[in-house]
Amino acid sequence: MNAVTPVTSSQPIPLLQPDPLITIEKLQVRFGDVAAIDGLSLIVRRGEFISLLGPSGCGKSTLLRAIAGLVPSAGGDIILRDAGLRTGFMFQKPLLLPWRTALGNVVLPVEIQNGGSVVDSTDDYRARRMLDMVQLGDFADAYPQQLSGGMQQRVALARALMGDPDVLLLDEPFGALDELTRDVLNEELVRIWQSRETHLKTVIMVTHSIPEAVTLSDRVIVLTARPARLIEDVPIRCPRPRTPEDPDAISVMKHIRMMVRASR
Amino acid sequence: MKSHVQSPLLFGVLLLAAWQAFVMAAHVPEYLLPAPSVIFANIDRALFVQLGVTFAEALAGFLIASVLAFVSAILFVRFRALEEGLFPIAIAVKTTPIVAVAPLLVIWLGTGWWSKIVAVVLISFFPVLVNAVKGLKAADAEYRELFQTLGASRAQEFRKLRIPYCLPYLFSALKISSSLAVVGAIVGEFVGATQGLGYLIIVSSAHLETATLFAAIAAAALAGIAMFYVIGWLEKRLVFWHQGEGE
Repeated sequence: MNAVTPVTSSQPIPLLQPDPLITIEKLQVRFGDVAAIDGLSLIVRRGEFISLLGPSGCGKSTLLRAIAGLVPSAGGDIILRDAGLRTGFMFQKPLLLPWRTALGNVVLPVEIQNGGSVVDSTDDYRARRMLDMVQLGDFADAYPQQLSGGMQQRVALARALMGDPDVLLLDEPFGALDELTRDVLNEELVRIWQSRETHLKTVIMVTHSIPEAVTLSDRVIVLTARPARLIEDVPIRCPRPRTPEDPDAISVMKHIRMMVRASR
Repeated sequence: MKSHVQSPLLFGVLLLAAWQAFVMAAHVPEYLLPAPSVIFANIDRALFVQLGVTFAEALAGFLIASVLAFVSAILFVRFRALEEGLFPIAIAVKTTPIVAVAPLLVIWLGTGWWSKIVAVVLISFFPVLVNAVKGLKAADAEYRELFQTLGASRAQEFRKLRIPYCLPYLFSALKISSSLAVVGAIVGEFVGATQGLGYLIIVSSAHLETATLFAAIAAAALAGIAMFYVIGWLEKRLVFWHQGEGE
């Protein structure tokens, strides 16, 4: 059992300087009498890919929603580094509007920001670029019903990127897809995160898959079941690009699995 | 596609032929059951004029009712207090049979167009209101959260999400209320009118002109069917993205 020297926590992390983008302090979220999150603190640094990992119903989605302002906090603070910080949110379901084409769906955030339906040619061009980025350049005029589940979720990703977010909040974005499709989309997500075409630097993703969290993230935040508390903050130092088969990745997965088991 | 139309048409013709044969063979008196040939002979220009009157009343009332009901539905969904206060009253008014109210309408509005149009409005308003309220609330909470994360205003949420989402619900109500509109116009004409299919029905039944009566009934059915199909056609254009349900 102790063969696992945490490849992780004992060593210093040279790459990530503390550059807090979002600071969460003793956050509390309650649904009626039930505490979903009870005094959780977390610092999200600029440029990080973070995974929030935990069993279903543990409050990890609630944490993400609190960051997005979808659920009110009952105590504590969520401090954004600057007020103009743009967040993009992606849900587990694609939530595309069936009466709009793929392009029409991608352009929606800009329409709403502009306060009308007028979309100029720059926006149109950018929306097409976003569709290219998620490999759907040829499907701009397709309606969501004509696209597969994976393609629909790609459109949703393009839409989330259209608002030019600094932080992308992903709530089990590919959880409803089959494993093969999910692997492909995860790889593309990392590629988009690393590319310089968007302002996107920071990603916070909710997942309940340990391999997914480890292959994608710079840091995995392991949470307990409700109310959500931090078990451990695990930096992942394996070089990219990664696969779930990398020996280093496997030992980190083992480590996390053991911690989760021990916390029960 | 074609067989869609063909087989009902074929059975319709067969039914008419059987009717014709039965009346001729059994020597049924014309005032009881006229043969289809006699009924067809009674279709003249005057009938179409009466049909036009009734159709115009039904259409005008239907359009007014639809717009009023949709606007009310938006206000109900936007302002909860309005819904809570007025919806029960709307239901109470709805349960009052139109036949009971029609004489009052004639006293207030006379025997002209308006008493019929108001009868039509009364009868076709509620199905649209009820369904539109339901449709405007039908968008999943998740969609509303999406709009929230995009920073949409309430007005934008209505324009870009709730109203398009409501269209399938609206159209299934419009199909119901379009048929009801013809009923409302005819009931209005029964009570007090100088023209229209309802007037023709009353007069021809009083004179035992059963063939004219049948022709008027057929024309009334035609008016309802015409409205229904126009709306179905519009629905196909506007709600192309919606599959199943709604019928």
